[in-house]
This record gives sequence, C-alpha cells and structure tokens, in this order.
Amino acid sequence: MVMPSSDWVELNFGPQHPSMHGVLRLKAKLDGEIVKEIEPVIGYLHRNAEKICEMTYFNDNLIYFDRMDYVGAMNMEVGYLEAAEKLLDISISERVKWIRVIMAELSRIAAHLVWAGAYGLDLGMLTPFFHCFIEREKILTIFTEVSGSRQEVNYMCVGGVYQDITEKAINEIEDFVREFPKRLKDIFNMLMKNDIFLSRTKGIGILDKETAISYGVTGPMLRASGVEYDVRKAEPYLVYDQVNFDIPVSYKGDNLARVLVRFEEMRQSLKIVEQAVKKIPDGPYFNPKAKKSLMIRMRGEGDVYARTESSKGEFGVYIVGDGGVKPYRVRVRSPTLRNLSVLPELAKDVMIADMIAISGTLDLVFGEIDR
Amino acid sequence: MNILLRLQELFSPLGHLASYILAYIFESLFLVIFVTISLIVMIYVFRKYMARVQQRIGPNRVGKFGLLQLIADALKLVGKENILPKNRDDLPYKLAPAMVFVSLVLAFTILPYGDFFYLGSFTVTHSEVTIILLFGIIAIMPIGEVLAGISSANKYALLGALRAVAKDVSFEIPMMLSVLAIVMMASARTPSSLSLESIISSEFLPYGILEPIGLFVFFISMVARASYTPFDLGESDSELVSGHSTEYSGMRFGMFYMGMFGSIFLGSLIVSILYLGGPSGPLESSLGFIWLIIKAAILVLISFTVWLSMPRIRIDKFINFGWKYLIPIAMINLILAGIITLGWGL
Repeated sequence: MVMPSSDWVELNFGPQHPSMHGVLRLKAKLDGEIVKEIEPVIGYLHRNAEKICEMTYFNDNLIYFDRMDYVGAMNMEVGYLEAAEKLLDISISERVKWIRVIMAELSRIAAHLVWAGAYGLDLGMLTPFFHCFIEREKILTIFTEVSGSRQEVNYMCVGGVYQDITEKAINEIEDFVREFPKRLKDIFNMLMKNDIFLSRTKGIGILDKETAISYGVTGPMLRASGVEYDVRKAEPYLVYDQVNFDIPVSYKGDNLARVLVRFEEMRQSLKIVEQAVKKIPDGPYFNPKAKKSLMIRMRGEGDVYARTESSKGEFGVYIVGDGGVKPYRVRVRSPTLRNLSVLPELAKDVMIADMIAISGTLDLVFGEIDR
Repeated sequence: MNILLRLQELFSPLGHLASYILAYIFESLFLVIFVTISLIVMIYVFRKYMARVQQRIGPNRVGKFGLLQLIADALKLVGKENILPKNRDDLPYKLAPAMVFVSLVLAFTILPYGDFFYLGSFTVTHSEVTIILLFGIIAIMPIGEVLAGISSANKYALLGALRAVAKDVSFEIPMMLSVLAIVMMASARTPSSLSLESIISSEFLPYGILEPIGLFVFFISMVARASYTPFDLGESDSELVSGHSTEYSGMRFGMFYMGMFGSIFLGSLIVSILYLGGPSGPLESSLGFIWLIIKAAILVLISFTVWLSMPRIRIDKFINFGWKYLIPIAMINLILAGIITLGWGL
C-alpha cells in the first residue's frame, strides 16, 4: 500500500544530532522507515568570514581560512595564498613551495582520517574512530613542531611560511611516512573485512557521472563517480607537476567507491610527502619583499581567482583588490556546499540508516559550508 | 549446602518462623547485591576493555585504577534532574524503565547457580517449569522498551520502538525454537525436562557440543535481545539519537543503561547454563558457581568484542536474517535434536 504524501512524517535530523557532522539540519519526510524527501538546511555555523575578510589586511585574513575547513587547515591556507600572492604580485621561493606541498598533503591525510573515523561512527562502529585520531594526532604533532599550533595552524603567510621547517619536524615527518602505511592498512582492514560494513556501503547511494557533474560535485566524490579530475593534475599549482602521484578513480559511484577513493588518496598523499621530503631544496623561507613589518602595507589591485584541490574538492578563492591595504571583496567557492547539494538526489526513497550512511560519505565540514 | 539453609541454621536461636523469614530477607539481599556487583564489575571491565581495544587507557582517575569511577557515575545519574517531556503518556513513561530493570533482576532469581550459591529456595524456583518462567520474564524487557518509545511523545523514540518490535519478533522465534530442541533432548533423560536444574543434571555432554547449530542461533538471539552494536536497532545512536530512551534522563536512563549491560550478563549466563553445562565442571561440585561465572565471563568478553568491532546492521537486513536464515536454521536444529533424542530413547 502506498501512503499518500500527506501521511508522511516530517522529522528534523539536526542541527543537534550525533551524526550530522556539526550543524547540518535535514528536514526529512518519512514513510515509516523510508526517507521520501530530504531538504538540507544550512547556516547554523555562519560567521560571515568572507565579509570580515574585507575589513582585515591581506595577510591577517589567513586565520579566517584556517577556520573554514578546520580539519584540513593547511589546504585552506594554500588556497587563499594562491590567490592573494597572485593579486599582491609576490613570488615565493622553491623551498616554500615544497614546504607548502608537504603541509597540504599531511593536512589532507589528517582530514581524510577524521572522515574515516567519523564514518565508522555513522555506521555504529566505535573503534576505528580512535585509531584514526591517534594517527591524526601524529600529524598534528608535526604541525605543532612547525607552527606552534595543532589545528588552526596559521603557519603560512603571504610570501612564504611563518618559520622555517626544522630538522626535528623533518625527522617526525620521515617517521610518520615510515609507520603510517601499516597503521593505515589496519584501519582499512578494520572497515573492509567486515561484511556488515560492506553491506552498508556496496551499491548504496549511487551517484552517476552526469548528475555529479551537473551539481558541480568535485573532489573524491566526483572521482568515485568515474571522472578523472583533480586540480593538482589538471592545473598544477605549487610543485605538484614535479611529484609523481596518481589520481584514484572508481566507476561505481556508490558509498564503497567513495570510501575506497579516500583511502587510496591517503596513500597517494603519503607518496607525495615521501618524495617532497627528499626533494626539498635550500633557500629562503620568506620573500623579503613581503617583510613582516611591511605586511600590513601590501596593496593589491585587480581581481584574481585561484583554485586548489582541498581534501573535500575544488576550493576556489576569488579576491578583488581596489588598490587598498585590504581586499575589496573575497569570495570562496566551497566544495562541500556543492557536494552537499547532491544529497537530496542520493537520499531519495532510501532507509533512514542509508541516509545517514550516504551523508557520511559526503565528508561534510560545516566551517566551510557556512563560512 | 546452600546459603538459605546455612542462614536458617544461623538464625535458629530466634525460633523457626523468625529464622525462616530472616533467611529469606537476607537471601533476597544477597541476590540484589550479586546483581549490582556483577553489573558494576561488568561496566568497569567493559570500559577498560573498550579502552584497550581503542588504544586508550580508560578510567584511571577516581580511586585505584579508576575502580570508583562507576560509583561516581552512578551518583551523578542519581543526582541528575529528571527531565520529563511535556506530552508524555505519564504512567507508561514512568513504568517503562522499571519494567526493564525489575524483570532483569527477577530473571536472576530463577537461574541455577550451583550448590554453593544456590538461590533455589525461593518458592517459584522450585517449580518444575523454570525454563518457561525464565523466558516469560525476559520477554517483559522488550515490552518496557516499546512502552518507553511510544509514551515519550518523540518521533525518534517512536521509530526506535517500531524497530524494537520488528526486531523482537524476528529473533524470539528462533530463540524459543532452539530452546525447544534442548527441552526435547532433555526429555529423553529426565521426566522434568522443563526445569533448568534437571536439564543440567541430566546431560552427559554439554548441549553446545551436541548441537552447535542451536548454540549459534541462541547466542545470536541473545546478542539481539541485549541490543548492542550489530543489532542495537532500537537505540541506533547515529540514526535515531538514542531511540526509545531519547527522552529519558537521570536514573531512568540509568535503568535502561544497566538493563542493557544486565542483559548481556544474563544472556551469557543463560547460554552457559543451557549449552555449556552451567555449574558443572571438572572439579568438585561446590565450585559450580565459579565455573558458571567463568563460562559467562568468557561469553561476556566475546560479546564485548563483537560490540566493539561491528557496525550496525540495517533493520530490513536484520529482519531478513531473522526470518530467512535464523528460523530455518533453528528448524533444522530441531530436526537434528529429534534424531538425537530418538537415539537416546532406544
């Protein structure tokens, strides 16, 4: 028997809900256990970051970008600086480029680890969460060594990085690169050798190529749907054209494909870090043209758009300068917002449990969606 | 020598009736203390074990090795405000946690613990049909969960209650079918095959060895009954917030919480009594209680491992599993048990 739509139960998942990854609110219409329609409601973490950026000096804006994708802060800094340095016409040394690549990739691994742990929790699995966070903590220790801060690092600045990468940090990174593959395999097996996990992910939430492209989905979600697109390859920034790595692609487009693509991305990121640590050249860690005392006087005119590959997808930053010491306008293209917009398509006529499993694979971070 | 008789001897200077009543009161106290202590030990062991599995340390601040952490937590729960939802159905809302907890404690009175710690002096446990009584009592617990879900005026809780009903129906039938196989096999060797004690005393091999399929079905049913992770469909914390116990706080929530841990322990005890020989062990019979606890403890640790390493199964898959796999397997088990019984009867 098909119930008329007026008999559907409306139920709010969130903003306070254990598996809504922060403050997502899903207005769901339920027919028993079946989710008929959902409507994501966002904005509960809105902090007006883009507008605040207009009131601050170019270099100081970095801290607002740290707080966008707070689990992968280094990628946000790279994204902003790609645009800001182009606008301010400040070059960076080769050493800085390599340092930024190392930090961005470590940050990507950290972000994916947070996602893997949280995805286990979404499916009711308690244990992988802690194993993932122990590994993430090692990356955060490296960040502490280079920047003095764990999560909102504020490590980079216009023209370079805040301080040079130390010998100790290099050793820590080398230790991490040596030990991580085994630990990653453990975490991977913990999830993949479990039949219930496979039954919860295989064939669930299939996102086909055309839908993914039409919604502007990017990052691991797009690659899991069979599109080989990664900004690091398509339009290399920093020194991504000098390192050897692959883009993992899956053609299934289901939950399992997205899980596998993210795990493979961690391995590829580790490969990049391994190469970068060996190749890192000597040189200044800071462009004297952007000396610290002069930072607040840097002026930029014109408009630039820079795109980078964050852990969630294509992260674009658009800055307009009017010749003043502060940007005239800053606009962020958030990858997660586009990825979230496809959720009503995926979670149609599925069970509640599957809706949670699907929304878990989107890798939502609300600092970036709401900004 | 059981505790009741010893107590009666101890109180005998007070006269027959007084010693009898006092002995009963003390024995009831023993039972409550046994259940409470086993729950506290279980939750402590669970937290330490979970911490080890997850590469953490676990509670280690309150008392030596964090031993007093559980008491601190219990005091916190008692001290918490009882928040009541406005549109609740008052009587069932308040009755539900009590139903879960009281039926749990009641079920402990019926089990045979061996000679040393023998609670069998309660009148009901002299009954010849303890197995029916036991499964009757533990069938009350899911009703408490369902009542909690439908009376707390919350959509999450209602969905949790619906899931609990669907789940209970699909595991209770295979559970009872596998118990039936044991009763059938025991009937070949003892006239009172519905009594837990005579089932244990009549076996020459533990039933788990004679019918491993029944053990498998029954253990899975017990996992589903205690509702922890692969089958915690009524709660499913990442989907329905906390399912049927969403609207409960303070000690009422504590009763659900203890009800779950108590069910794990109770389930392990029942499995070890029915399938693993219960109090019987290689050494003298006065150690029966210890053998029972050791067997149950091993099963409890297996349950914890399952809990900590599994994601949650989807409700429709669980119902499929219950109806399409567990029930046919239990039926086959019943046929095998019938063949064994015939063999014994000859």
